[in-house]
Amino acid sequence: MAYREIGARFEKNSACILNEKDEENDVAEVSDGSDAESSSSSYSEYSDELEPEWLDDVQKNGELFYLELSEGEEEAVLSHITATQSAATNHVRFSEKEAEIITDKGSKKHADSSRKSQPKFKKLAKILGRNRHPSQRSRADGKNGRTSQQPASILKNQSGQRTGLVVQQPYLKDVCVYINPKRLGSISPPTSEKGGLLEALLGVVLRGGDGLSCNGERLVIHGLVPHSPASKCAQILIGDVLVAVDDVDVTSENIERVLSCISGPTQVHLTLETGIAGTVMDSEVPRPRPTAPVSQLVRLLWGEDTTELQMSVAHIPHIIMYLSLKLDSESPQEEQEILYQYPVSEAAAQLKGVRGIFLTLCDMLENVTGGQIVSSSLLLRKQLVHVGYWKEGENLLVIGLPSDRVPLLHLQTVINGLVRTLRVMYGSLHSAFCEVENAPRLDHFFCLFFQRLIQPSRLSDSPGSSPSNISGTLFLDDLPAMRWLTLPPDIKVEVDTVLSDFESSDFGDMSEDFYGMRRLYVILGSCLFYKGYLIANHLPKEDLLDVCLYCQHYCLLCLGAEQRVGQLVVWREVFLQRRSQPESRTSTSTSTSTSQPGYCESHSRFFLLVVGLRHYMQCVLLEAGGCASLALGSPGPDCIYVDQVKATLLQLESLESAIEERLSAPPTPSLSCADWFLPSGGRDRQDMIGSSPILNRLTAAIKPPSPGTIGRSLFREAGSGLKGRKPSPQRSVSDSGSEGRSEQGDFGLRMPSAGTRRDSLGSGGSDGSGGSGGLFKIPKLKQPNPFYLGSLKKSLTEREAEEMQNTLKLTAGLENTLFHYILMETVQGIFITPTHREQSQLSGSIHPQLIRNFHHCCLSIRHAFQQSLLPRQDRRGTDRPHTSRGLGPVKEHGILFQCKPENWTDQKKPAPTMTYWVIGRMVLEPVPQEFYVCFHDSISEVPVEMAFRLSFGLAM
Amino acid sequence: MFSIPSSLGMLHSQSVQLLCLTASSGVPLFCRGSTKQLPFSIIGSLNGVHMFGTGHDAALSCCETERGGRVLWRVFHDSLMLIGISSNADVSELHLRRLLENAWNCMVLVLGLDELANTRNVERLKRELRSCYRLIDMLLERGMDDRDGDRGLMGDLTHCADCILFPQADLLQETLDAFTRAAESEFGCLLVRGRLAVATEKWWRLAPQELVLLSALANLPPGKTSCDCPVFLPQGSPNVALRLLCFQLLPGAIACVLCGPRPSLYHVENEQVCRFWSPVVENLRSCLDQAKRSALSPSVGLRRDVLALLLINRESRRSVESLGHACSKATPLLSPARRWELLRLFYTFAATRYFSSEESPSSERPTAELLHEEFSAGFTHLPVHCYLVTDECKCYAVQTPQHQLFLLTDLSVPTFALRSVATHTLDAVTTATGF
Repeated sequence: MAYREIGARFEKNSACILNEKDEENDVAEVSDGSDAESSSSSYSEYSDELEPEWLDDVQKNGELFYLELSEGEEEAVLSHITATQSAATNHVRFSEKEAEIITDKGSKKHADSSRKSQPKFKKLAKILGRNRHPSQRSRADGKNGRTSQQPASILKNQSGQRTGLVVQQPYLKDVCVYINPKRLGSISPPTSEKGGLLEALLGVVLRGGDGLSCNGERLVIHGLVPHSPASKCAQILIGDVLVAVDDVDVTSENIERVLSCISGPTQVHLTLETGIAGTVMDSEVPRPRPTAPVSQLVRLLWGEDTTELQMSVAHIPHIIMYLSLKLDSESPQEEQEILYQYPVSEAAAQLKGVRGIFLTLCDMLENVTGGQIVSSSLLLRKQLVHVGYWKEGENLLVIGLPSDRVPLLHLQTVINGLVRTLRVMYGSLHSAFCEVENAPRLDHFFCLFFQRLIQPSRLSDSPGSSPSNISGTLFLDDLPAMRWLTLPPDIKVEVDTVLSDFESSDFGDMSEDFYGMRRLYVILGSCLFYKGYLIANHLPKEDLLDVCLYCQHYCLLCLGAEQRVGQLVVWREVFLQRRSQPESRTSTSTSTSTSQPGYCESHSRFFLLVVGLRHYMQCVLLEAGGCASLALGSPGPDCIYVDQVKATLLQLESLESAIEERLSAPPTPSLSCADWFLPSGGRDRQDMIGSSPILNRLTAAIKPPSPGTIGRSLFREAGSGLKGRKPSPQRSVSDSGSEGRSEQGDFGLRMPSAGTRRDSLGSGGSDGSGGSGGLFKIPKLKQPNPFYLGSLKKSLTEREAEEMQNTLKLTAGLENTLFHYILMETVQGIFITPTHREQSQLSGSIHPQLIRNFHHCCLSIRHAFQQSLLPRQDRRGTDRPHTSRGLGPVKEHGILFQCKPENWTDQKKPAPTMTYWVIGRMVLEPVPQEFYVCFHDSISEVPVEMAFRLSFGLAM
Repeated sequence: MFSIPSSLGMLHSQSVQLLCLTASSGVPLFCRGSTKQLPFSIIGSLNGVHMFGTGHDAALSCCETERGGRVLWRVFHDSLMLIGISSNADVSELHLRRLLENAWNCMVLVLGLDELANTRNVERLKRELRSCYRLIDMLLERGMDDRDGDRGLMGDLTHCADCILFPQADLLQETLDAFTRAAESEFGCLLVRGRLAVATEKWWRLAPQELVLLSALANLPPGKTSCDCPVFLPQGSPNVALRLLCFQLLPGAIACVLCGPRPSLYHVENEQVCRFWSPVVENLRSCLDQAKRSALSPSVGLRRDVLALLLINRESRRSVESLGHACSKATPLLSPARRWELLRLFYTFAATRYFSSEESPSSERPTAELLHEEFSAGFTHLPVHCYLVTDECKCYAVQTPQHQLFLLTDLSVPTFALRSVATHTLDAVTTATGF
């Protein structure tokens, strides 16, 4: 059976049906418990009759971007009611393009039909959305305060006394609910007799319950289905009238049609008219606000609602244009030289209007100064705009950015990063911009790009991130390195082992020996992120940077850091800069070259697979061609590989608590808060300095390892895995916790206590990955290793003892004077800096300013380093000797800052000042490193020593 | 000499070009700084892009090309457009910007604002502008050329008057005051090797840019011992001409007086110069001797490892530059030219990034401030010191409310000691000279 299916898979290149349970197990000892544990839920969930939910989203060219928030995230959004089975998962299709569907069973029918009508609906909503704001305003004016904070009173379950008031006038309210049409297919087919989609999707029962008449009646809500989205949101009352869905006015005539346009799980705005007949309303708001919108970033990634964000930056001049330098004089058309342009705002239009300047300068300046143009500055509406240039072939990429967001000395770095990302994604700028079907994708890409640069704070809603630390984002994002989280060695070893096991591709169903045919892809390597921190990397540096540039431009790292991702699957072909540089021709024109007979050199194509689960994200680089089989056309993601990555991530979940522990551990090296050094902080400085690290340590120690979370997910998945043996109608709930939790009793026998946390992995391996037939591939750990656990425990205690005894202090002297640091390992492409949590612990009024200042300063320092790396590698290949030497190579650069507390009111005494150094140092020997540090002025430090100590602690 | 080979040096000195065109019609007026003139089509397009932008409400300010080439556009008084072009990475944006401002001020100084702002006859203006060439060429060569005479003058870059400090300045000051009074003026100064040694109180009140230009103008061409030229002060009296009388007292020592129409050059030269200056001629000689070594009085004890320093008084906008004694044995000695070059570069580096320019916003165009980015505006806290360690030397800059000190030291100075070296030097110089 397996043979047959693999063959089918090779043919179709996308189906993922593989029934593993029928497979012969080459592993000897099989026990029930281990079977359940080691077979991942993802596996069994997607087996046979059920296909992964992202499959619909695969685009024609094989690309996939699928993002689903975890139920935990939505719980946070809904912020009430305990988790129930029906908590909707949420995903939205990334592109409106028709997907390649492998028609399977009738269960997809509904989705199909809805997909067809979706664009229409979106368009309709967009048109209506334009009128939305004025109309709402008039409503609010007319109807006396349409507050968003609605009292939550449901007639049927009112409790407590309320001081009420009687509202006589009709009263409009907006309610956001999550609905998931995908659930319909599995529960029951929507029947129009039973109230149709309105009841099935929303849980709203209409008057009479005898179906809808098509005469355009008002939709008066007669009842609510228990546990339905409508009842859970607690704002929809019986007696309300449903007026509009997503600002589309609805009546009984069109409601079914409108609802059927919703194809995927999403957040829907319902406008309800309430209080007609003198409904008793709360005057107080007893509950917290029930609905909060999904974070802007997620909405942006989903590709919805970008207009509002775009409007908020419309006044800031920014633009990207791809212009053709070769003008066709035969047929002069308006704007024919513009191959691509984004955005379409007034300010951008002004920049577009002067594109003649850019073209002329690019043409001419080489003759004037003897070099290609790099940047220019111009004053637009009293705002200085820097314009960066990148010439490729006969085309010119022009990017305009306001100078207060991107300083001139950093512009080049931004452009280099952008160009590289586009090359990674499309092979060359030409193929990125000149293919028409890329345009919507590029729009989305650049929308993210500009949002990231212009208002990064809007994208993240984590309270810890300081507002408007633009320099910080700029500096850290554009370092040719990734943020690294140092882990205790034992955890690190485990993580690396798990990754290596995955990369060895030693899965039973993937080995060539087993099937006697070439595998689809060779795994080149992978890297693993936890909450946006790189914790393991098995990729060469350049490949890592390629991958990470992609992730960064799509904000995948901050996504994982801020919210638990239910499921993220990204698949796309990438053009690795390291490899495709010499043979860029062949990689861009594979379609033609594969058709030619005879010898061709390497036809390797590379694919990037990113899978995110909760806070984990793993990026895998796959190679097709070479020793794997050739990739034809544009293959979509292969379920086997996706599942393998998921399995890996699930396996790693057992380590989550250990990593969390590391994140919540007191910072090593320990940091000081700038405010402690100023008396105006109102706190006793000595006290703060003395107590804080101890406090931190205490809290870390006291914090229970919470066995509930440890391994819970693993067991839960195992649970659903077990259950998955019988066809589960609840499949689409995917990884909702409830299912697993309900079954935890069954095989939670070995529910680990805090001490045995780590052995979940070990024992999983030692018990053998029997029944699942190598899906859980821990070949090395097949035999119980008597030393494994012991050594782990030993290292644990050692580490803890170490932690308790001494907190690493980097600076010399009595007081710790280190405020902040960044160490970049150029060779490995990683950098370490205090974690977000460490930073937020040091909250104060001055400290965030100091951090911002530090990053701004780092921009300048690094620029000085870059300038001095002579002879600079000319980006266009030509190398001409420098006639000037400038300042020469800068090895070390420091700036002393002085700060005064704000609002110093005491007139008699002068404001106290605090001075601190920001020092950057570039070391080329023995390992190229860059080191940026910020410390108090009181002790003159020798930064070399600090650099050494810090890099010593960086265990790789 | 460790400096660049001569062939490259030639390129070096010619790497900055200055174009002047009428802003409205784009007629080229002059082009200085290069033996090889740019083709007319290029000049036309350089002007054209800017004009095109102005028409679309987008004022083009600056361009940067690979390997540090730069083009800078400025329009002055809506009448003249100056375009600065450099193909040399050592010419910073600040340098080029200052160059254009100075060139404009030069033209105002020589021709008056009225003449420039209300151009009636382009051909006549073209001819008249020739009289500015000498001054403009001198500015173009500043910091580019290795000519002995100008070495170490940085006023064009810092917009501070280059000064020289003497221990026996009182006598010279009295003499100058008396001499100026006798010439029926209140504005007088004594220049020693291009630097202001002493000046009357009124002279110090002139704008720093004017002081820099007047000092340059008073730098007589060889062979002349006196001159009388009409000058318009770009800030003080842009439309009413004054007379600048310059007298060479000794080679390298020049007395200048700004006066109205009254005393003739002949009169002052024959009667007053000898009468006032011959008694102090020995004093002047010793000053000139000292000036050959350093602009600082010998009473200032500089550390042996100080290579060069630039001290700016932020209030009075005066500056002193000096080379150190530099007798380090450990590292190969940097040539004086390279040291001056490094000092200029370091000043530019620190001033553009950390120490914001504190010039009074130029009266003529408030928007001129917007045309370049102030990187230092992005700092939330005030930068007070900064240092650089390079292959050749270590640089340290200190900013206090009163002073800015830019110091180059030998590599043998430990980095952690730089700060104390710098602060001690600052203390030593300011207490010894009262600068």
